[in-house]
Amino acid sequence: MTTVTEPSARRIVRLAASGVTAHHLQRVTANLLDEGADASPRQVTDAMERARRRGRGLADDAMTDAALEALDRAGAAVIVAGSQAYPRRLRDLWPQLGAPLWLFVQTSGDPPAPVVTAPVLPDGPAVALVGTRKPSLEGLRTARVLGMLLARHGVVVVSGMARGIDQAAHRGALEADGATVAVLGAGFGVDYPRGDAALRDAVRGSAGLVSELLPGSPPRPAGFLRRNRIISGLADVCVVVEGRSRSGSLQTARMAASQGREVLAVPGSLHQPTSQAPLALIRDGARCLTRMEDVLEAVMAVSTAPVDTVAAPHDASTARGGADSGEAPTGLAGRVLDLLSATPVTPGEVARAAGRPLPEVLTTLVELEERDLAGITPRGYVRLPSQERRRG
Amino acid sequence: MVSRTRTVAVVGLQAVDVTVEAHAGSGLPGFAVIGSSGAAAREATDRVRTALVASGYPLRARKVLLSLAPADVPKAGARFDLAMAVAALAELGHLGDVGPDGLDTTALLGELGLDGTVRPVPGVLPSAASLAGRGVARLLVADANAAEAALVGRLQVIPVATLAEAHGVLTATTAARRVDPARPQVDAGHVGAEDLADVRGQAEARRALELAAAGGHHLLLLGPPGCGKSMLARRLATLLPPLCEEHALEVTAVRSVAGLLGDRPTGTLLDRAAPLRAPHHGASPAALLGGGSGVARPGEVSLAHRGVLFLDELLEWSRATLEALRQPLEEGVVRVSRSRATVTYPARFLLVAASNPCPCGGGSRCVCSDDAIAAYRARLSGPLADRIDLAPQLLPLSASDLLATEPEESSAVVRARVATARAVSRGRGGGPNAQAPTSVLRRTATNAALQTLALAVESGRLTGRGHDRTLRVGRTCADLAGCDLVGKEHVLEAMGHRGALAPSVAGLA
Repeated sequence: MTTVTEPSARRIVRLAASGVTAHHLQRVTANLLDEGADASPRQVTDAMERARRRGRGLADDAMTDAALEALDRAGAAVIVAGSQAYPRRLRDLWPQLGAPLWLFVQTSGDPPAPVVTAPVLPDGPAVALVGTRKPSLEGLRTARVLGMLLARHGVVVVSGMARGIDQAAHRGALEADGATVAVLGAGFGVDYPRGDAALRDAVRGSAGLVSELLPGSPPRPAGFLRRNRIISGLADVCVVVEGRSRSGSLQTARMAASQGREVLAVPGSLHQPTSQAPLALIRDGARCLTRMEDVLEAVMAVSTAPVDTVAAPHDASTARGGADSGEAPTGLAGRVLDLLSATPVTPGEVARAAGRPLPEVLTTLVELEERDLAGITPRGYVRLPSQERRRG
Repeated sequence: MVSRTRTVAVVGLQAVDVTVEAHAGSGLPGFAVIGSSGAAAREATDRVRTALVASGYPLRARKVLLSLAPADVPKAGARFDLAMAVAALAELGHLGDVGPDGLDTTALLGELGLDGTVRPVPGVLPSAASLAGRGVARLLVADANAAEAALVGRLQVIPVATLAEAHGVLTATTAARRVDPARPQVDAGHVGAEDLADVRGQAEARRALELAAAGGHHLLLLGPPGCGKSMLARRLATLLPPLCEEHALEVTAVRSVAGLLGDRPTGTLLDRAAPLRAPHHGASPAALLGGGSGVARPGEVSLAHRGVLFLDELLEWSRATLEALRQPLEEGVVRVSRSRATVTYPARFLLVAASNPCPCGGGSRCVCSDDAIAAYRARLSGPLADRIDLAPQLLPLSASDLLATEPEESSAVVRARVATARAVSRGRGGGPNAQAPTSVLRRTATNAALQTLALAVESGRLTGRGHDRTLRVGRTCADLAGCDLVGKEHVLEAMGHRGALAPSVAGLA
């Protein structure tokens, strides 16, 4: 019975307060499996406690009480592997493949009892959107639009709250009034990423914040890598929007693949450093996102839960693209627009390519900008994708 | 009895009449100077006395007292030596009957060597200019200063090589030498080796330079290292029309006071070409704005008066220094206070700043995030944000640019267009477009243009301040196109020229 395999929250918090990390638990689990045990959450907890008693010791009652109190103050629930509240997708990964022994969760509801029995995180279809902290404008736009698109179709957007792609994905989902979950790289109550408390609160109010660390734990580099396995684990599909070579996004994608998740990558320009990770993934067999809607198909194909195939009303125009944006520009405007792409170009370059005098080209560019067909970035002008058009 | 001679002190660019009085009385023999201050006076005492003796005018064991009046004018340098020596000569009776012109209508300006030679001094041009209006008919200066003094006209300039020659001229025993009024050809403009035709490609920057020259707009060049930022900035001066006589005299007067005219050939003294100054970012605020002990000397901003001030590597300049540029940028003058006087120098220049486009330096290998670039740009325009109208982006040179054989437009061609546009904006009154009153600009803009700007402000593309600057640049675009009214296309182009400083596509992250 599950009630037998599930260790008590107090024992779990004691382990967390003893500084036990996923890394330690993984070794203990591996040993158990080698010995032929089935490594249930309870067995892993027992084994870990034994190892701690022998070695550097286990947190005493006072420390455990303090940690429980901190969780209580943070309004955080403790979700233990094996319990009813433990997310379905992670349960499937147990005991290896990165399923955590516990999760601390902050949601908008009343501060729950330390041990929750009902699921507090949304159980519907979910997609992880991940990418670099230093994205291009194009990447930010893609992440935001994907977030909106998924949220409008009732898909939960999972990401890591990092600056850049992660936050753009959360914001996109929030803009569409959808559900989004953030797996944090620090404990609750730590202002990280610094100054983004408003967004954290918004995500908490949406579907919830998740952390493996006790409240107040500072962010650590190794913690981010461990955090990534939870992001991919909580989702059915993992989309890499932008990343450089040897980036964390690449690592998340590989983890997602080993967890059996479908990995999608957003293709970008060869010349853009932020395209290196997605392009490498596509080369290695990840599915290439050719339209925004590909992500919906991917999640429908693998998710056991239903995806809203009827989009929200305001989505109709978005899906169709720029058909509603008035007549297409002609003459020089059309020529200039054809020269623009997602890679920013300066007016001088456009003038050279178009073979027209600069004043004329500059006038045309700003005109296109006025019509929301082109956008200005610090590097120059870009063509705005049809999804971006705000006015007709 | 007291003998008097006339000379001129220069405080900043302002010339002040100074009278040297000499009195020879009985008493313990000596030679003293009063009414001056500091080491300069003590040194002058020794120099003048020695020069007098060396030139063969014994002091005759008299007590000689020299006074420089008014006493409260700061008097620096050795410029009064000649006047002091001549006053002493007169008082000691060496001049005899001074002749029809007398000492009353003669001014003297020069430093004396110990052997009695007359040496050049700085600030002769503003001195001569002020003397011409004050009943002075002739001015005796060193040979090297003669051409400079003659620029003023309206004054007989007599070069003297030695104190003895000055004595001869004053007593009419030596013929006064004449100076050719070395007024150079008026159409000179820029004849240097630098020309806009040297710059390949860079259409955006070229256009921005033309607008800057025509409308007096300050500009910021953004480009990766090696793409030709300094090359372009240096060529902006070649696009400015030749200075009119009045402006050329102002420029030359500043150079004179700064002591920069010394080694110029006579024919180029009155330089019609707009000046270009490119101080290094290590320059101190004093070097940039003017400074020095006692009375401030003109700094780079004043030397760039009526021309171009080029600040390369804008971010390397200290914020305090850049903040100090606000006064000259706003008022066209710079006031510098030092212990002895507060002086005002003209400083109406065209500012060209240059910088890398992003924190890593830019170029094709740039890995900066758009956020980082936006933050960098904000820092860049920081203290000067409301002054910079144009921010063209320069491209790394491409092979096709370098190989192109078609000649690029030369400075002379652009300069002609600039001159026409300037004439048009002068006709409207209110100075160059960058400083013209907003009412004039609004009156000459179409409704479509004003509406476009209003919409741009509403959508966040322009700030309130940017609105005003854009209208000014739009006015210049219209002037260059020969249009009476600023049209929508002109303000659109003007917005495009501020693109690099614009807020990025809003609301994306």
